[in-house]
Amino acid sequence: MVEKSIMAFIATLGFGLLVNIRGKNLFLAALGGAISWFAFLLISSYHASVVISCFIAAIIAGAYSEILARSIKVPATVFAICAIIPLVPGSGMYYTMFEVISNNMEKAAVKGFETISVAGAIAVGLFVVSVFTQIVRYWYSRIKKTIFIK
Amino acid sequence: MVDLKRILLIAGETGRIMLENGAETYRVEEVITRISHGLGVHHAESFVTPTGIFVSLTDINNNTLTLVERVKQRSTDLEKITRINNLSRKIGKMAHSIDEVEAELRSIKAIKRLPSKVILPLSAAMAASFAYVYGGSIYDCLAAFMVGGLVRFSTIVLGNARMNDFFINIVGGATAALFALIFHALGVSESIDKVIIGSIMQLVPGLAITNGIRDTITGDLLSGIARSVESFLIAVAIAVGAGIVLKLWIDNFSVWLW
Repeated sequence: MVEKSIMAFIATLGFGLLVNIRGKNLFLAALGGAISWFAFLLISSYHASVVISCFIAAIIAGAYSEILARSIKVPATVFAICAIIPLVPGSGMYYTMFEVISNNMEKAAVKGFETISVAGAIAVGLFVVSVFTQIVRYWYSRIKKTIFIK
Repeated sequence: MVDLKRILLIAGETGRIMLENGAETYRVEEVITRISHGLGVHHAESFVTPTGIFVSLTDINNNTLTLVERVKQRSTDLEKITRINNLSRKIGKMAHSIDEVEAELRSIKAIKRLPSKVILPLSAAMAASFAYVYGGSIYDCLAAFMVGGLVRFSTIVLGNARMNDFFINIVGGATAALFALIFHALGVSESIDKVIIGSIMQLVPGLAITNGIRDTITGDLLSGIARSVESFLIAVAIAVGAGIVLKLWIDNFSVWLW
């Protein structure tokens, strides 16, 4: 599990270089990829389904990137894009296509639905974090305002 | 008196750079208005879609100027986005002259991407590590290393020839499948699927998925739908490319495959 996460780190590092992230952001973005993949492997080792594992891993990836974005003033997308890269259902896409060309339409439908669900789960995971951050920011600014007025 | 024309050009240019390099819609709109207000425009409004930008600036005497920027090619360069984002924050906090902003914008535009000869081995290494991440053996990594490099080579060549993205991804998927099958037939790799998956991971639309969702959340429904469709089409294109090659191979050389 740890060695796969390290390889996910290297893979995300490569992706980060391809989308031209530089300096310490690159390292942090790659770390995000390793963290999300480690979370995915950890959760799926407890017999959770792929969709649930991806959902929780995406939440962790989203939280990681939002926290980093606030603390070092870099857009959250920079980290979010890299952190979810290992979760993106490239394999689901491949197996769906493979079942289609082998004429197993039922298996293709199952795999295809799972692939779309995983993509949706990643999206909703990031969405949850994003909304949560907005709420926190809203309350933070309100509290700051009331203290300031008093 | 504010030089509305110059500010408009700067704002439009900034928006275009951001959009071409993969920023979310709300961020582009925010940066355009922030830069315009920072340079002293009375009222700034912008409407951004993935394929074009509309900026409209109004000064204190109700003179309005509008600019349309058409965005044709999109790639990903997160360094440019980070730099522009920082620039717009700085303008918001302290007064900057137009010249300073223009100079900064020029230096951001001059940021170079990695040259092809670096990108090729990098993509190859990325494919190899993804093959391992998804459960391939060391031999699969070796095959994925070469296949990943070949996939990136084909996409670079087609990209230089200004082919459209859909076609590039079909060819990318086809290249991945073809060479994965060849390396398997030659006895280099143990599995075909891990090699193909590892090498197509560099093509998958991770950015389009996240941006599509972010746009939808923030209420830019038009861009959200456009980007979601984009990501779906990219995925279909990769699958179609790989699928055609696999199908042809199975029908004609199935003896070698299993």
